[in-house]
Amino acid sequence: MPPRILDIGCGRKKYPGSIGIDLSPAGQADVLCDWTRTLPFRDGSFDEVRLIHIIEEVDNIFRMLGEVHRVARPGARVIIVTPHYTDHASYCSPAHRWHLSSFSLWFFSDRPAEYDYYAPANLRERRVHVELLQLWRLLGFQFLVNHSRRFRRFWEYYLSFVVRGKTVEWELEAVK
Amino acid sequence: MPRILDVGCGPAKYPGSIGLDMNPSTAADVIAHLDKGGVPFRDNSFDQVRAEHIIEHVADIIATMEEFHRVTKPGGTIWLVTPHYTDFSSFRDPTHRWHLNTYSFLYFYPGGMHGRDMWYTRVRMREKKLNVKLLKLWKTLGFEFLVNRSRFFRQFWEHYLSFVIRGKLMEFTFEVIK
Repeated sequence: MPPRILDIGCGRKKYPGSIGIDLSPAGQADVLCDWTRTLPFRDGSFDEVRLIHIIEEVDNIFRMLGEVHRVARPGARVIIVTPHYTDHASYCSPAHRWHLSSFSLWFFSDRPAEYDYYAPANLRERRVHVELLQLWRLLGFQFLVNHSRRFRRFWEYYLSFVVRGKTVEWELEAVK
Repeated sequence: MPRILDVGCGPAKYPGSIGLDMNPSTAADVIAHLDKGGVPFRDNSFDQVRAEHIIEHVADIIATMEEFHRVTKPGGTIWLVTPHYTDFSSFRDPTHRWHLNTYSFLYFYPGGMHGRDMWYTRVRMREKKLNVKLLKLWKTLGFEFLVNRSRFFRQFWEHYLSFVIRGKLMEFTFEVIK
């Protein structure tokens, strides 16, 4: 059986072979509903859930990812892409509520126990990839940022308003 | 003994204070949600309200500051700690709604906007103390000292330098005027 993939907020470019869900009938959605609140699927329905340029707009990221965790089967892949807070794209749309960094989802993997209250969903970080602007990529900064977690930290603290980011991509694993 | 309220106290409540938090698995004495009904105490109940890493999370900063002002006695203090918007920590938490700088509370100061009062709120407080913390490298190079020493330099830093010489935290002490 092919993997069951859910593309949340699919718009006009639905991921091939996936079930698309969106607010607007103008795109390629198979299911129309307000996915920012609940996802109309049973627990453990999907092998992969994709959220491409979505989480920066939702009202409550914790609630949203809690729903994603629920509809994902144990071990499913969760792919999230969002603008880095130093990219102009983070500020282009007045619908963007949140400005995020490459460490913004740490709450969902290795967090202190008292944070269980905020984020009960366990989504383990498998991979983080940061895209930088072309100039910085050509100068090798993108390689360094993705090569070493320590350098990524240093970049976030000291360099990222000059050597600016573009997008952050996460691959998470639904742990149940 | 001064009566102190620690808002969003978390697991490490300020010694001797009353702790308020929305999360029951903390050291809180009172469980309440700031965005849903404010601070559940009578007017003028406290000598000090402390809110460490709270104000950047609330839905409405002005309404929350009005609540802090209401429960504080005249002449009492509100102590806030919050990230400067150029610090990475401002963007690490997906529940941070606001990214603030050292001028973010001018609306509350008498004559706060170029000598004029602002009309967004009637509540007034005075900036008694402000301490800005910078990243370690910049602190070592003396920039933190300069930012805190001179109002003029702080303004210059906010306008020209702060995306390179990045801030970390701001620690405000406001004196409540009633």
